[in-house]
Amino acid sequence: MITKHHIHDVLKMLLMTGFLTVLCGCWDIKDINHRTLPIVMGVEKKNDAYNVFLLIPENNQGGTGAKVVTGTGETINEVVDRFSKDMEVQVDLLHLKVIVFERAIAEQGLSDSISSFMRARDISPKTIVAISEEKLEPLFEKLKSSSKNGGVEIYNFFEKSAGWTPHVAQTRIWQIFRSLNSFTHDVAIPIIEPGRTTTIASTGSAVIKNGKMVGKITPDETLMFNAFNGLGTQGRIEVMDHGSVLIVADKLTHSSSIKGNKAILNCRLQLKVTILETKGSPSVTMIKRELDEMLTGQIQQMFRNIQSKEADILGMGQFFRTKLSRERLEHWRSEYYPYMKLNVQVNTIIQNKGLLKMKN
Amino acid sequence: MDKSLQVMVMYLLTHIGLIFFMYPTDIIEVVDVGHWSAILLGFALHVALMGIFLKGLGYFAPRNLIDIFLGVGKVFSIILLLPVTLYFLMTIIIDIRAYSEIVTLVFLAKTPLWVTMVLLLSVPAFISALGVETLFRSGVLVAILFFPFLLLIFCLSFQNADWRYIFPLMDKQAASLSYVVSRPYLLSLFAFTGGFMFLGFIPPYITYKRRKVMWASALLLPFFLISVYVPILTFGQSTASRFQFPFITAVDTVNISWLMFDRVTLFLLLSLVCFAMLFISLIMWKTTLLIRRGFPSIRPVTTTMLLSLAIFIVCLYIPDWKTVERLLWWNTYLRLYVMIVIPFITLFLGIRHHRKGAACP
Repeated sequence: MITKHHIHDVLKMLLMTGFLTVLCGCWDIKDINHRTLPIVMGVEKKNDAYNVFLLIPENNQGGTGAKVVTGTGETINEVVDRFSKDMEVQVDLLHLKVIVFERAIAEQGLSDSISSFMRARDISPKTIVAISEEKLEPLFEKLKSSSKNGGVEIYNFFEKSAGWTPHVAQTRIWQIFRSLNSFTHDVAIPIIEPGRTTTIASTGSAVIKNGKMVGKITPDETLMFNAFNGLGTQGRIEVMDHGSVLIVADKLTHSSSIKGNKAILNCRLQLKVTILETKGSPSVTMIKRELDEMLTGQIQQMFRNIQSKEADILGMGQFFRTKLSRERLEHWRSEYYPYMKLNVQVNTIIQNKGLLKMKN
Repeated sequence: MDKSLQVMVMYLLTHIGLIFFMYPTDIIEVVDVGHWSAILLGFALHVALMGIFLKGLGYFAPRNLIDIFLGVGKVFSIILLLPVTLYFLMTIIIDIRAYSEIVTLVFLAKTPLWVTMVLLLSVPAFISALGVETLFRSGVLVAILFFPFLLLIFCLSFQNADWRYIFPLMDKQAASLSYVVSRPYLLSLFAFTGGFMFLGFIPPYITYKRRKVMWASALLLPFFLISVYVPILTFGQSTASRFQFPFITAVDTVNISWLMFDRVTLFLLLSLVCFAMLFISLIMWKTTLLIRRGFPSIRPVTTTMLLSLAIFIVCLYIPDWKTVERLLWWNTYLRLYVMIVIPFITLFLGIRHHRKGAACP
């Protein structure tokens, strides 16, 4: 006999199965084999339109390779949509790792692109940004031909846990977005080109102010830039004619003051190094003295270079946040930074001399 | 039986579920400098009002708010409790609509809104229909499941912090407290008031020690500070003020190569939505309790079902985020009433009751 209890039980079961359809939260699901996840995106200007490159990993019988698709359109999104339309799979930028902009675009300004990436959220804010001096076609050809791992080479080039070295700047989308709005912080974006024998070569970093490229620093200066931010470890420095050393630790101490209307920053950069190679028979004191002089000069020179562009990539304004009110910080780049005096002192400690003895 | 632990857990979860979305947005909008003062002020207000409320309730233990007010008079309790019911209803509607929008914005871009709303409504309705004891027990379970993840994410969220962004610590505007009457500040109070009212409704079903719950509120302060200061330290004030949900975006920047998942934000969001569901079920339970007092003839399950259906229909009629914000603002009046009037009246009644009791024992 069917009692009221039975009906209740059946209803409960139905309700619970009903929940299942909702609980999984999946809607319009597209399986992973119907998606394609590009690793690298390249954007260049062609007349007035954007030319977009995508490097997409591809499985073939020999292993994982990569293919390159290109398209032209008014906006980046339009091109990506067209890829989706024209390909048998959906293009999903979720796992995009690197975006390469052509230099011309960087000089015109990245702010609109970066803001729309931050807004739409289909591109992760962690994506690394790079700049190419030349047209993008040779770079993508090189990336394609040398990819044995599904195109992740360029990502590994920038990844700290893989092939990154402190001679290369590392900047992500959110950092550029921060610099667009920040009063006291600009960024440096790595400049890359296809290498002759390696996949990629870095030729320095672009100095970006308010989203626009205003100058360039060399790889050696980039190392100092990274050391300034505490990222210099494992960087290699050539010492004049006497050999080369490896940074094993870096530490920055500073004191900032405002005298009158002039900002003064005293910095002390302490580098712990080990000696890698020597030419002739220099003494330890000699190497240390030369290193100190050379690096101090290098930082001063780089600082004068970026100061003249009013681009604060070292984030020096950050050191003055305790000294200036917010209203005055707003004018940091125009009123204080160009006249700022930087007293920098590099102090190297030669931690050890390797496995060979050396005279002091 | 003393169930203070369950109450403390529930108190923490419901607040944590609330504060990480809109609260940092409001606080960052309120002041440019010295956010800590705005947070501490709100928090002090919260603790003070909660103390007053609990003190007042303490005189009547173990009776709940409805019994206390009914003890004074029927008309009196209707006048006082009707706005509370209305406030609860609006809170459920806003929460469901807002959370489904957040879920859509952050990770389910293609899912239609009504599906997430059904999910956000049906689970709380189910839990609240099973009764308050179940609700509190599931609170403990959810806390055990999600809290370790959440703590890990909170630690990781400091990865990109640049501590110099903490300065300047103070300026004239923040020191003058002139922001107290500003719109975003009044809006931000939602994070402080939505939660503690439940303490007046759960006895005699669930009893707790007043002092322990007050201690739990101290645990909450770090979360308020984290929710505002993580985006500030990561982006700086001027960038953080451009985000719709600053904390979520700040967590998006966390880059951990050894973690198998690319985006930790998903974990954060799933935990927070889970907490929010508990919060909604709690309010829903309170609302049905109030409604059933008014109309004792309706069965509890029917009440819950009718209530969720009505809420769902209203939610469907909210077209955009702007309307959600407007509703949130309208709700502020009710909220101010609930957070200020109810605790003080409870205390007043409590002292009167106590004196009467002392006069003729």
